[in-house]
Amino acid sequence: MSEYSVIGKRVHNVDGTEKVTGSAKYTFDVVMPNMLYGKILRSPYPHANILKIDTRRAKRLVGVKAVVTGKDTLGRKQGIWRRFPELCDEEILCRAKVRYIGDAVAAVAAIDEDTAEEALDLIDVEYEPLPAVFDPMDAIKEGAPQIHEGVELNININRHIEWGDVDEAFEKCDHIREDKFKCSSQAHVCMETHDAVASFGHNGKLEAWTSSQSSYYIQRLYADMLDMNESDIRVHNRHTGGGFGSKFELDSAQFCAAILSQKLCRPVKIVLTREEEFTATKRRTPMYYFLKLGAKKDGTMLAKEVRVITEGGAYTAMGATALYLTGFFSSFPYKYPNYRYDGYRVYTNTATTSAMRGFGAPQSTFVGESQLDMMADDLGIDPVELRRKNGMTPNYEVPGQAFIQSCGLHQCLDKIEEHIKKQGKLPPNHGIGVSAYGFMSGGIFNWFNTPYAFSAALVRINIDGKVDVYTGACDMGQGSNTTLSMICAEELGVRLEDVRIFSGDTGICPPDLGAWGSRQTLMSGNAVKRAAAECKQQLIEFAAAKMGANIVYDLDIKDRWVHLVDRPERGVSYFDIVKETIRGKDGVAIMGRGHYTPHRKGMISPAYSFGVQAAEVEVDPETGRYKLVNVTTAHESGTVINPLGIEGQLEGAIMMAGGYGFCEDQPMDEGKILNPSIADYKLIRSLDMPETDILEIDTYEPEGPFGAKEAGEGLTNPTAGAIGNAVYKAVGVRIYDLPITPEKVLKALKEKEKQTKKAKK
Amino acid sequence: MIKDFEHFAPKTLKEALALLAKYGDDCKVICGGQSLLILMRQGLVAPKYMVDIKGISELNYIKDEKDGLKIGATTTHRAIEKSPVIKKKYPVLVEMETRLASIQTRNWGTIGGNICHGDPAGDPVPVLIALNATLTVAGAKGKRSMPVENFSLDYFEVDLKDGELLTEIQIPVPPPRTSTVYTKFNIIESDLATVSVAASVTLGSGDGVCQNVRIALGAAAPMAIRAKKAEKVLKGKKITEALLSEAGEVAATETEPISDIAASEEYRRELVKVLVPRMTKEALARAKKA
Amino acid sequence: MKKELKFKVNGQPYDIFVEPKKLLVEVLRDLVGLTGTKRGCNSSSCGACTVMLNGMAVKSCSVLALQANGAEVVTVEGLATGNKLSPLQKAFLDHGAYQCGFCTPGMLMSSTALLAENPKPTKQQMKEGIDGNICRCTGYNSIIRAVTAVVKGEYKEAK
Repeated sequence: MSEYSVIGKRVHNVDGTEKVTGSAKYTFDVVMPNMLYGKILRSPYPHANILKIDTRRAKRLVGVKAVVTGKDTLGRKQGIWRRFPELCDEEILCRAKVRYIGDAVAAVAAIDEDTAEEALDLIDVEYEPLPAVFDPMDAIKEGAPQIHEGVELNININRHIEWGDVDEAFEKCDHIREDKFKCSSQAHVCMETHDAVASFGHNGKLEAWTSSQSSYYIQRLYADMLDMNESDIRVHNRHTGGGFGSKFELDSAQFCAAILSQKLCRPVKIVLTREEEFTATKRRTPMYYFLKLGAKKDGTMLAKEVRVITEGGAYTAMGATALYLTGFFSSFPYKYPNYRYDGYRVYTNTATTSAMRGFGAPQSTFVGESQLDMMADDLGIDPVELRRKNGMTPNYEVPGQAFIQSCGLHQCLDKIEEHIKKQGKLPPNHGIGVSAYGFMSGGIFNWFNTPYAFSAALVRINIDGKVDVYTGACDMGQGSNTTLSMICAEELGVRLEDVRIFSGDTGICPPDLGAWGSRQTLMSGNAVKRAAAECKQQLIEFAAAKMGANIVYDLDIKDRWVHLVDRPERGVSYFDIVKETIRGKDGVAIMGRGHYTPHRKGMISPAYSFGVQAAEVEVDPETGRYKLVNVTTAHESGTVINPLGIEGQLEGAIMMAGGYGFCEDQPMDEGKILNPSIADYKLIRSLDMPETDILEIDTYEPEGPFGAKEAGEGLTNPTAGAIGNAVYKAVGVRIYDLPITPEKVLKALKEKEKQTKKAKK
Repeated sequence: MIKDFEHFAPKTLKEALALLAKYGDDCKVICGGQSLLILMRQGLVAPKYMVDIKGISELNYIKDEKDGLKIGATTTHRAIEKSPVIKKKYPVLVEMETRLASIQTRNWGTIGGNICHGDPAGDPVPVLIALNATLTVAGAKGKRSMPVENFSLDYFEVDLKDGELLTEIQIPVPPPRTSTVYTKFNIIESDLATVSVAASVTLGSGDGVCQNVRIALGAAAPMAIRAKKAEKVLKGKKITEALLSEAGEVAATETEPISDIAASEEYRRELVKVLVPRMTKEALARAKKA
Repeated sequence: MKKELKFKVNGQPYDIFVEPKKLLVEVLRDLVGLTGTKRGCNSSSCGACTVMLNGMAVKSCSVLALQANGAEVVTVEGLATGNKLSPLQKAFLDHGAYQCGFCTPGMLMSSTALLAENPKPTKQQMKEGIDGNICRCTGYNSIIRAVTAVVKGEYKEAK
């Protein structure tokens, strides 16, 4: 039986009722008195100098209240990597040059959206088109067009990771494989597009409502770009209609709404259209992958060498982090004694690539797990066995990089092996592919250069015993408000319904880096837990005095009952103790503060989750079309705080990660994205969704609140690889570039047939 | 952004035709609007006047008559899908409809609107071609009819002259021992077709001889087409695997597919080669049971 | 020129004047003031705007508001009776059939229309019923489980 009274229970999300009744208010729904609507004019050229912008005709249109261009800004450049000014390279409203189709050049505020849109047609921009480059392999060549001044060969940033002696180790290998892969882009496709309402008062202070994953980042980046004090900016995070990595940099809706509002001192609302969402927000990073893997005959992996060139797009954004993480996670989840990674992020005249759920790891997992299966084939070793032989174990140190405490990879492998055996002999053209993965529970790196703790929380107990939690964490749908409320309730010994949470409002909540890198359960969770513990301590002190218990006894609170741990029947009501404690403190509400910043936890993350996934496909060998039949995942994320939440993360990740393997792509022509609509961008729908099964694995992460760690992003990593391996098992062809489309499968089948015929001759 | 327009909601065909005659080129007909409104939002179509025929009840019917099935142009997809008589006598229409977009679209979108949109990847036209359907259009000067395969002229272009409206689809009673089937190939189940194939086979009295066959292809040319040469390969013959495969090869030569983000031209041809034999075989098997 | 639109939304009659180009979703959100109905795309693809029109699920971004003249529209705000949630709403809560919640009003309307038409759908029919609705968060299966629970009668008392 669980020792917990709140966590681990299947509860309704704290905002569930609002969401199922349509009363949840998103930024999309915000309407304010005197509000104007904004629209943004974007570059039709992938690379061009702006010679002149004439806004006079637009300004004359009835209903237009303001038109702004880059000249109305301070000309600053934003970037998430604030420690490195040269990587802050995005003006948002371009002044002299545009670098991709979709770069913003002007914005309009008008009495309604239609008028604003009409005005866009009346802005005359004179461009001088420049030679453009779209593929990073071209952009990195001598003589390629230079996208940012002073950036040689368009190399935005490079990362190197190395341990052991890779060259020497390859000498000792019995078998070496070298393979090339290409990972495609992917759009986040949040159901709520990027949007913002910005409102400057005559006092020069800014209040903004926006759909975001990090109110603190938006506040700080606003402060940078507008040269304001953080404290003069209040960012609200309403319900957020999805984020997936797309909503924690200052975007064009947020920035243009603020610039327009500053001019007019009226609220301005900008909602990006779905087309803008596809073309002018960030996206998953396409990568060219070059892998060399060496093993002994018995399957012991001795060395891995990884080279990656990523398509950066026009700006740095969070893409530099993706470059770093793809390199680190290329070693996952295995114990390579010798490892070397070199990654280059290259500027191109395409939409910027940045963070997306999994953050570089879906790419590294697809290529790594594909190659591992090929290695298993070469060596004649069962793929699960090969993974078992090399897989990470608890208390393993990734040399010089990371320390892994809890790790349930081997339990996951056992469960998946059992699952595969249970399926027995598969029908013809069916195959089950396996893919193993791991991910971090929040990043340790501080490229953003925040002077604050990574997470912080305040907990206040009111006279009626009800508890208010204040956290800068952002709920974008993943359910962090519920998880954090559960952690608070458990720690404090109250019920979930006793807790009310205020999140992501920079005016009242302590800063938190927000919802990215799977950090909130562990980091924000620890902060909330500590704040709650501080409150609890105050209650217990009063209770101990009141009860006159021998000081050798420990006191605790469970389910609203303050009691002696060893003699639970001896206790007093939590509500009574709260009242008396507040009275005893001269009427001051009980407050607790908590924060979390990882220290001495390596360079990546304080904790890692692991899992193994098996995907079954059925291939039609005549057309190459395949069906996702079943995806079964053994996942371990430490103590499960919110089981419904984890199930949702898991199944939802399969929709997104399966899509990455199966159908999602952003084909381009000369920098123009060819499918900027949900009609043309293929997404898995209910009829296409495979059956999903979850195999729970118990682990306990000492660093996490109540032993918990991440469950948000890691699950996005395995599916593309599992699908690729399954297609191979089913019909014997290997696809090296994503997505694995029927057309590619058929082409490979025909090629294989040709080779077989040739061999027979 | 949708541009402003004036909206008319005639209650009768006569009123509608009068409005069309009056506003000519400046007006556009809307029924379910499931395709048109998308084009209007994209600014690709911006009529000054809109004649909304959704409310013309005299065009909304499904009639099972002696000489066949009559469907009024403003009949929704969903009404066809749920019609017991269609399910019983023309089940291929139900099969086709259940794969056409989403329930929401089928609830409001109409068969006439779909046909007039002229999308070569649309679902109904290949099936109607296989069923040997005819269309009737009405204009100020009266009515005219044509085989459905002659109605589509090019990408998103159909044989409707100014002032004309599609009013009815007629499907003849199929000969005995006939079966018609439809499939579409795509990656997302409810998506538009990458390639679609409808096949209708009529068995002769003799054992397994294919007395008549109609094969229609969607998304394989600027409009839905009949693969007449492929039909010829099969017509009057006892069907063998070799013949089916030949029909597929021949059908592929009759196509003029495009390369786009969904598939290359070559892949579309490959699909035709595979799906034509597959669907013909399926129709044959069902005709034998019929 | 604006034209008169008389219709009922969640049982409440409205008599308003709208520009002919206005879509049903725009009138519901901006003029009627019910913002539960969302918009997620510009191509009739995502289903976030699904409402019931004369009992049928339709995408309200793909219906001219004037075409709803004389009709009965039900939006997500019309599902609960007073403070009592509908069986599907309760089931969605119990099964975690939502995350960010932006697609949820549309999902609920599609599911409600499905069960109104066919109280005993098969699993395949349930999937068809919500296939016009994109959810980027849940992966759909929890939604199917919620609908299944209602079909099995687990929420009868909630009526």
